[in-house]
Amino acid sequence: MQKNLLYMGAFVVLVLLQIFILDNISLSVFFHPMIYIAFIIMLPLDLKPLWVLLLSALMGFAIDMLTGMHGLNVISTTATGFMRPLMLRLAVGHATGADDSLPSLHRLSTKHLAWFIILVTSLHSFIFFMLESLSLSHLPYTLLRLVISASTASLMSWYVVKLFTKKILNK
Amino acid sequence: MYKLIEFLRRIHVVLLFIIIEAIALNYYAHSSFYTQAKILSRANSVVGGLQRSVFGVKHFFRLRSENEILSARVAELENRLALYQDRESSIATDTLSLALVDSTYVEQFTQYTYLPARIISNTINRNRNFITLNRGRQHGIMADMAVITPDGSMVGYVADCSDSYSVVISILNTDFTTSGKISGDEHFGSITWSGHTPHKVQMSELTKYAEFEIGAPVVSSGLSHIFPEGVKIGYVESFKENENQTSFDVVVRLAADMTKISNVLVIGNNGYVEATELEDRVKNSR
Repeated sequence: MQKNLLYMGAFVVLVLLQIFILDNISLSVFFHPMIYIAFIIMLPLDLKPLWVLLLSALMGFAIDMLTGMHGLNVISTTATGFMRPLMLRLAVGHATGADDSLPSLHRLSTKHLAWFIILVTSLHSFIFFMLESLSLSHLPYTLLRLVISASTASLMSWYVVKLFTKKILNK
Repeated sequence: MYKLIEFLRRIHVVLLFIIIEAIALNYYAHSSFYTQAKILSRANSVVGGLQRSVFGVKHFFRLRSENEILSARVAELENRLALYQDRESSIATDTLSLALVDSTYVEQFTQYTYLPARIISNTINRNRNFITLNRGRQHGIMADMAVITPDGSMVGYVADCSDSYSVVISILNTDFTTSGKISGDEHFGSITWSGHTPHKVQMSELTKYAEFEIGAPVVSSGLSHIFPEGVKIGYVESFKENENQTSFDVVVRLAADMTKISNVLVIGNNGYVEATELEDRVKNSR
């Protein structure tokens, strides 16, 4: 129960962080980190795929509603939630348990966790920016936006995930 | 039947994924800047108060430069007021019919009304950027009002408003388009933003007969009912002939620093409704 409350708290905090802080940092057109993706990374790795999908869609929906983005975040977060198991397999490789079960997030090695975060944030940013630009004519600019924003989001997600797993372990 | 249910149970996650994506994609595909602004203005009714508090802190640190610009603007307006007062007193003492002259004066000088507003949310890192103002319908703001900086540079125009907030389509929005001209030259072109940098816009379809040089000021042409003629857009940074070599494509450096604005003036055109109604009537009758 306490764990669920922690996840609800993380959901709210990440949405507020995105809306009121990150969306208001107007450094450059190329700087648009999306920290709320950390929520999808933090979800328990053994959570049923149906729940991951629904919670990812819910996160996208919340951001869309508060920023007037018209489904763009739902599309990117839902796709990311759907592909999360694949990203985890790619990041962890064959380092799963003996019975092929997945390790929990805090048991992942630093390298595996970093790869997992980078893959998830990059996938999400790729879908988001490609759909937002809806054109290949400005591909270099879109890719530059993607690289800058995804790397910043990865770095931020790393700290958020570390902080969150520490909280979970203390409970 | 049992097999079908079993099959659906096996692929329920994929099925749900496809359904959610299809709905979201459909929604996104049918979104226009107008409906986008509508939703944003509704959301602002809820989060507007909080956003205002956050922006208040940011605003505090910009007060110094804002004050300098405002002081300069006030001084300029004081000068203009003094000029009008001189003219008024000379008319009042004139033997001509004051009523006759006065009506033309009032019409001339009240065509546009200026309302100050503060920005509580502004993005520059999307393709379609919007600005939220702390003024809405109850303060006299309406859709299609022009928005400029205190020193008279173009910012955007109001797309929609709730009672207390308005959503502005920023000049840094790929849906934004208006008509501009080189100051001192009557040839006009189309102003749009390509989404690359928050400091530059493009002026396309400018006839090759236009005479100008690098650094020439670009202003609104007054051909739309939204922006009055002469609102500063920016300065010519570079230009080249378009692919067909029929007109110039001009890169314009924006006069307004869209990354730093926090106070704006909203301009209402008192003749807007009458003019658009007349145009609609003519269009419908043909």
